[in-house]
Amino acid sequence: MVHEAVRCIRAGEHRKINAIWLEATGCSGNIISLLDATDPDILFFLREMVNLTYNNSIMAKEGEIAFEEFIKTLETEFILLVDGAVALKNNGNYSIVAKYKGKEITALEAIKMAGEKAKYVLAVGTCASSGGISAARPNPSESVSLSTALKRDVINLPGCPCNPAWVIGTVAHIITKGKPEVDNMKRPLLFYGVTIHDRCQRRSFFDNGIFAKKLGDETCMFKLGCRGPITRTDCPTRKWNGRVNWPIGGNTPCIGCANFAFPDGMEPFVRY
Amino acid sequence: MSRTITLNPITRISGFMDIEVKVENNKVVDAKSSGLLFRGFEKMLLGRSPFDAIYFTERICGICSTAHSVVSTLALEDALGVQPNENDKMLRDIIHGWEFIQNHIRHFYLYTLPDFVLTPEVQPVSSAGLYDLRLPEVLNKKISEDYLEAVKFSRLAHQGLAVLGGKAPHNHGVFVGGVTEGLDASKLIHLKYLVSETKDFISNRMLEDVNIIAEYYKDYFNMGIGYGNLMSYGVFDTYKEKEISYVNPAVLINGQIGNFEQIKITENIYNSWYRGETVQDNLFGSFTQDDMNKAQAYSFVKAPRYQGHPMEVGPLARMILSGNYENKISMMDRTIARVLETKKVIEIIEGLLERVSFEPVGQRQYDIPDSSRGSGLKDTTRGSLGHWVSIENKAINHYNIITPSAWNCSPTDSKGVRGVIEQALIGTELQNPEQPVEIGRIVRSYDPCISCATHVISDRFKPVEIII
Repeated sequence: MVHEAVRCIRAGEHRKINAIWLEATGCSGNIISLLDATDPDILFFLREMVNLTYNNSIMAKEGEIAFEEFIKTLETEFILLVDGAVALKNNGNYSIVAKYKGKEITALEAIKMAGEKAKYVLAVGTCASSGGISAARPNPSESVSLSTALKRDVINLPGCPCNPAWVIGTVAHIITKGKPEVDNMKRPLLFYGVTIHDRCQRRSFFDNGIFAKKLGDETCMFKLGCRGPITRTDCPTRKWNGRVNWPIGGNTPCIGCANFAFPDGMEPFVRY
Repeated sequence: MSRTITLNPITRISGFMDIEVKVENNKVVDAKSSGLLFRGFEKMLLGRSPFDAIYFTERICGICSTAHSVVSTLALEDALGVQPNENDKMLRDIIHGWEFIQNHIRHFYLYTLPDFVLTPEVQPVSSAGLYDLRLPEVLNKKISEDYLEAVKFSRLAHQGLAVLGGKAPHNHGVFVGGVTEGLDASKLIHLKYLVSETKDFISNRMLEDVNIIAEYYKDYFNMGIGYGNLMSYGVFDTYKEKEISYVNPAVLINGQIGNFEQIKITENIYNSWYRGETVQDNLFGSFTQDDMNKAQAYSFVKAPRYQGHPMEVGPLARMILSGNYENKISMMDRTIARVLETKKVIEIIEGLLERVSFEPVGQRQYDIPDSSRGSGLKDTTRGSLGHWVSIENKAINHYNIITPSAWNCSPTDSKGVRGVIEQALIGTELQNPEQPVEIGRIVRSYDPCISCATHVISDRFKPVEIII
């Protein structure tokens, strides 16, 4: 899909689309995860796939001139990627991402400004997709998902963090074939179609009733609280950080970080 | 005539930050750092299973998540009376070591360099057009090429972390009792390969690059100095052998080195948005209630103090306290120390890999006591990190976190003593107040991790930031 996207861009069939990556109420872990991308890596993503105009973590510009890039992008065709939940506390007039012409711009306002104009909106990570850990009880910052804050079609890419291949692959689909097919929770089937349990490398232990009694055991983690049976991602085959490992490969249970009920509905993470 | 300059957003840090300085005759005479740590994690943790604190608190921060997993694990091990075996402890230190490498390479190249060097022509990381870039073309080109390489090596550092920790960010492998995955020949050779590649880059490129910057920006050896009081909780400090040891817990106050004592830590909430005792001295049970109507407050960060002193924490503090760097403090020394520390830590990882044996990890099923408490204090990438946990009825009933960035980014306390970064900005001469690049350069030298930051605005007060 990525190769197809680049072939199209190079052949002049598509041009690089502008993109804004906005960090809201989260941990900025999804942009760090994107920096960890392999095959392709972040440099290829930035050079060949999108023209990223705004991102707080990596952009060289600072202060007002940085935010001007955001404003300018709104007049073009662009994709909006949001990392983090939207905090609504204090009547929604709450979180500020920049100061522009003497006025504070709230995250909610920035998301609405860009969200209404963007060709596609991607909720990157579990906080943006469903509130995630930012909205964990008692939800002190009154955080909500991007879909709740923005009344429009959103593509959800949950995961804590989101695997960089899920972001890059979704963008690749958008720039070649348009919107990918999604499930009823707006997640691309390409990455979220099958449960971890269905493709788990330790499935035969489950089928034979051989269960880990503690973390560190090299068998099925089901009885320690593994959420693989209810979590739909391609972690068992895709893995992480250049396909070197993943949580179950590390002898720990899946904690269901890509589920909409994460974290409250996924706890306890470890059941002893 | 005085004027106020606000810098917002301070990009190239983790999270959002607002710095306000008062300038008279082009000189900074007052400074306010509004970096607030409040997503409410300490509230969220109440009632949850103590084991869950590890994977939960990691998610405070995407760039230093392993730091929280290590320190919350130490707090739980203290509360549960668990000690990892020597082999597992070394494996955990290898995981923690890779976190240092990932952070330091990213901070130096991706966050610091665009202030000084013409970075690659890739949007949005290109620094073309920024003010006061002094390097000649040939050196710009060299460092710009190294920037591109740094993208690869910081990624490989996270890969090293994931080989033993399952994934990064937000690893699974650090847990009570040590780690969850042992070493074998295949993983060992993978990690040795990563060390060899990364060490070459650090020793031959990164060190050279920081020296070039230092050469062209000598004035920054006289800027961003601050109080000069330093602290470390210690890290890589449990081994007898010198090659795998780094820094023991210590403080340096008014030029005097002393032992670190946990009991001397307090949190001052005078200028913070909390109600409660102004000086909080019970880290296991202090109660504060957030209150934005507090008149003088301007930050959700509390002001941690050691015997009443604001303490600088981080690579420079560690390098000086461990005798690896001369006692010189400035924006540029802080940046050099971070690079030298990167080399130190990759050598420690290398030394640990020589010593770890192939044996099953020492995990077992742990019982949570009905009632207990424990603390974890350890230096991590950005400085001294502490977690304090109290358990009642087998659940968390109090959790307290003091991050390195709280030490460095704290507001002024009830005695009028400024926070570390605030003080470091005082006296800074701005070449051109229309382009106050000095502020961002000084602030970034502390590597603030204001992750999860959002600014709060109310009708009555100036904007502040809420983080976490």
